[in-house]
Amino acid sequence: MEAVVLAILNALTLISILALVSIGLAIIFGMMDIINFAHGEFMTIGAYTLAYIQSLSFFLAAGGRPWTRAFWLALIPGYAARASGLEAAPWVGAFWLALMLAPVAGALVGILIEAAVIRRLYTRPLETILATLGISLILQKGIELTFGSRPQIIYDPIRGTLPVLGVDYPAYRVFIIAFSFVIITVCLVVFRNTQFGLDLRALIQNRDMAEALGINTRRVSRLAFMAGAALAALAGVLIAPLASVEANLGIFYLGRAFFVVIVGGTGTIAGVLAGSGLIGGLETALSYPMHPSLAFALVMITAIVLVRLRPRGLIPGFSFAHELLGKK
Amino acid sequence: MRLALLFRQDPINRGERAVLVTFGTLVLAAMLYPLWASTYGITVVRDIMLFSIFALSLDYLWGKAGVLTLGHATFFGIGAYAMGILTIKVGASSLAGLFAGLGMAAALALVVGTFLIFAGVRLQYFAIVTIALSLVSTQIALSSSALTGGDAGLLGVPPFAIELIGARLELSDHLSQYFVALSLVTMVYLGLWLACRGNYGKILAAIRMNEYRARSLGHDTDLHLLIAFVVSAVLAALSGAVFAAVSGFVAPDLVGPLLSTEVVVWVAAGGRGTLLGPVIGAFAVTRLQQEISSIAAGLWPLILGILFVLLVFFFPDGVISVGRQIQAMLGGRRTLLRRQSA
Repeated sequence: MEAVVLAILNALTLISILALVSIGLAIIFGMMDIINFAHGEFMTIGAYTLAYIQSLSFFLAAGGRPWTRAFWLALIPGYAARASGLEAAPWVGAFWLALMLAPVAGALVGILIEAAVIRRLYTRPLETILATLGISLILQKGIELTFGSRPQIIYDPIRGTLPVLGVDYPAYRVFIIAFSFVIITVCLVVFRNTQFGLDLRALIQNRDMAEALGINTRRVSRLAFMAGAALAALAGVLIAPLASVEANLGIFYLGRAFFVVIVGGTGTIAGVLAGSGLIGGLETALSYPMHPSLAFALVMITAIVLVRLRPRGLIPGFSFAHELLGKK
Repeated sequence: MRLALLFRQDPINRGERAVLVTFGTLVLAAMLYPLWASTYGITVVRDIMLFSIFALSLDYLWGKAGVLTLGHATFFGIGAYAMGILTIKVGASSLAGLFAGLGMAAALALVVGTFLIFAGVRLQYFAIVTIALSLVSTQIALSSSALTGGDAGLLGVPPFAIELIGARLELSDHLSQYFVALSLVTMVYLGLWLACRGNYGKILAAIRMNEYRARSLGHDTDLHLLIAFVVSAVLAALSGAVFAAVSGFVAPDLVGPLLSTEVVVWVAAGGRGTLLGPVIGAFAVTRLQQEISSIAAGLWPLILGILFVLLVFFFPDGVISVGRQIQAMLGGRRTLLRRQSA
């Protein structure tokens, strides 16, 4: 029983991260017919933002001048806690700061990529693959050259365990699951119940028609791209304490995220949830009885078979991307 | 009869003659190259020629049939590993290794292609799924180390040898390997060129441009694409198997995503769909890679990325189109001059 609960919780952790990364990918794919190979790098950027802010805060807290201490005191709750004699280390506060700043960093890089490359290639989807693949290589190498090739040191933001359904489970993983749940709910509400969400869905169904109806398609695309990048960066911060933070961090999740999108269906958040549930759940379940790489291989093979059975995904959205034939 | 129609050979026209002359000049240069080259230079060019067979296989699939795969190294690696494992671990002959590699690549392409192509998986979807193929095969190559040698790969693949009724032909010296590589490139190039210059090439072009229309004209587009995928996989495996036998080693990067990416760059840099372009692209980009790696080993992925972006924005049709543009400009001026003098 305990093992089952543990497995389910582990699966939920992976599913939460996968869903956060994949939402942006699925919406962008559904909307513009474009696959962004640099999407994994937003995650890496998120993780490195955390590493950078943690090291910075540690450095400053260790021996700063009074005014810098005051600055960090105001900015980082964890620092205040330490200053007031509590147990918490300064990097705990740095985590919350990173959780706020990483999406901003991701969105900024996203804007740059959108403006410099993606916007210019709307009509050439296959070329976009090549261009974003190039950007992915550039970003990866750039990060490696800036921060060095060694894995970054990440301090656990939340320690200890929580009793969940009779099992002691790491509190941080519980936080990941709960936090992602909130964020994904917000995304669903935005997608379904706001003007922006309505515009987005219109764009996904038919771009030309949306434009004819007076929707500023460029603006909506740009915002959606930014939001997707921000979500991926958020996922990067969340996964950083559990993963080895290196320049190729994003690649490992990008492969899975692609499959989430293909299996789940493009252009819908529900599809992303179904896809991440399937891919994340299956991988967690399979990696208990067998070697992780074999489990990964089996998940990929399952995904390929599923694509054959349901070419439009488990929960197909309205999407031009599904009209695969006859498009250049 | 239908096949004869499909591959009917019309007389060679002017444009085709220019392409053939260019290729012939390149082959001639490659034949003369060993006269002054060092042993090292010969092995370098030999490897690049084998890689350009790999590039040709992708050009056939991507440039001619319009199917972009980002995991083509899977098939190259299957050829290489089949050769390595069969000759080292099993002790079989090179020929057995070669055919096992070709057969396995064909079988995998057939299975994957049947699943994907008949499901209507195209374009970006196909690219993604094939990436996974290469990731999975890398994982397998790394994890089943008893067979594949894991991270280190396999060393000491015996040189290619054929035994025919007592006579033994062994490609152990650089020069014979070099000329075998050269003749393989020439054969694959000419084979693809002859196949694609007539009606068959036109059908592929029709599928590439608009599959709906091609289908409504009565062509079985799924089958055509599947055949292209399988043939391309077999050619990739051929280059991989010969590469393993000639260079003597097999390593996990031969199946990996980086080689899959590089081959796409070779084809894109040379000019996809031109067959000649990818051969030139493989040469130019691999030479560039070697030059850069000798300056700073870790910098190559960065340069590769920049190269990708530059290609997409400035040379979408590859280097070969630059030559064609200049030719068109010169040709235009010549007719202009002729008109003025007349």
